[in-house]
Amino acid sequence: MPDQDPRLALLLSVADDELILGHRHSEWTGWAPYLEEDLAFSSLGQDEIGHARLLYELAEPLAGKDPDTLALGRRPEEYRHAILCERPNRDWGYTIARQYLYDTADDVRLAALEDSSFAELAAAVKTIRLEERYHLDHARQWFSRLAAGPVQARQRFAEGLEAAMGEAMALFETLPGEKVLVDDGVLPASNEELLAEWLGRVGQQLEEATLDWVLTEHARAAGEMVPTSSGEIEEGPSLSVPGIERSDGKWVHVGEFAGAGGRRGKHTDDFTELWEEMTSLYRAVPGATW
Amino acid sequence: MRTETSAVEERVRVALEGVPDPEIPACSVTDLGMVERLDVTDDAVEVDLLPTFVGCPARDIIGGDVAAALRDVAGDRDVRVRFVHDPPWTTDRITERGRARLRDFGIAPHWDRATGSAVTVPLMNVSGVPCPFCGSTETVMESGWGPTPCRTQHWCRACRNPFEGFKEK
Repeated sequence: MPDQDPRLALLLSVADDELILGHRHSEWTGWAPYLEEDLAFSSLGQDEIGHARLLYELAEPLAGKDPDTLALGRRPEEYRHAILCERPNRDWGYTIARQYLYDTADDVRLAALEDSSFAELAAAVKTIRLEERYHLDHARQWFSRLAAGPVQARQRFAEGLEAAMGEAMALFETLPGEKVLVDDGVLPASNEELLAEWLGRVGQQLEEATLDWVLTEHARAAGEMVPTSSGEIEEGPSLSVPGIERSDGKWVHVGEFAGAGGRRGKHTDDFTELWEEMTSLYRAVPGATW
Repeated sequence: MRTETSAVEERVRVALEGVPDPEIPACSVTDLGMVERLDVTDDAVEVDLLPTFVGCPARDIIGGDVAAALRDVAGDRDVRVRFVHDPPWTTDRITERGRARLRDFGIAPHWDRATGSAVTVPLMNVSGVPCPFCGSTETVMESGWGPTPCRTQHWCRACRNPFEGFKEK
């Protein structure tokens, strides 16, 4: 799909993040550690997919495709979500680490978009944020619980943070046409500015939990190694993200994105599997309603 | 002869008061403050609805139910039902009657006009939401998540009943 109107690239980046992570959340239905979390992740998924639908409705006149077609009728390489969102849930530690990093990032970008010059988007974001604060609260409570928990809980949470950190930074990959979006006030702050704000917040919270060594580890590995879908580390430039350093008492990013990630349709085998399942009914029975 | 616009408008209001939320059948769309705009012209009946929670799975069912109810009273006027998101739906749009009906149904509105206290952050650990059965505020929130995205789960220490809450938004 040609991303001609830069507003479409912006809408699809946020909507696809919400749809794909919402799908991963829904995979906890029936499997979460206990019933309340089963309900929590089912509801988180339902909320995120609902937010995606609202954003696809805004995208409809720009894309010339209805929300169902946008959600389910595109080829995998036409999706614009960050790779972080497509990764399997792995374990509870990774699930919570990713939810924390993602929903903090979502809070940062939605706070900016509330002031967007794209009036319909600003209005949609206002109502979405009233729901997202519950998501952030869920993540923060689990953050505290796992960080302060028994050794194994803390360790597996930290391993989850380590695995997710680089790909979480890529949520802020520069969008195609971003300069126009920023100049027009559609995106009131650049992704690089949003990344700085997010990293400042995350860095401070990790320091308070004495988990900031996760950032040091990332700084050491950034740009050289990439976690694969199986969690192994392999060399390769498939996703280049900035490094991190501590400067003047604050965590900041250094370097630039290579610009070849999810916002340009680059995805992993994890997404191929997810896409095949998510779109199976849509592809088997075109035009089905349910 | 055409029915006068003002008469149709009154019938439309009554019809909307009769359309329940399928997830909370005790409350109508009017009780929940979902009706944002109602416009009756010579040709059409137009209603703009605000969904409560954006991802509410009942949204399309509600839209269909509202359209069907309006067709019954619209005569030969066109019926148009839309969902809009501006302004955002918030819990304080629930009417006084809606709050009473929620309580009777066993769901506590988080925002209690009787005490004038809004329950705010931290969201998930709030306690003190008044029990819809006995009115006690000796209650705890067991989970911020329930059978639908808009509901929470609580326990009343006074009457020892579980109950649900309507998530503040």
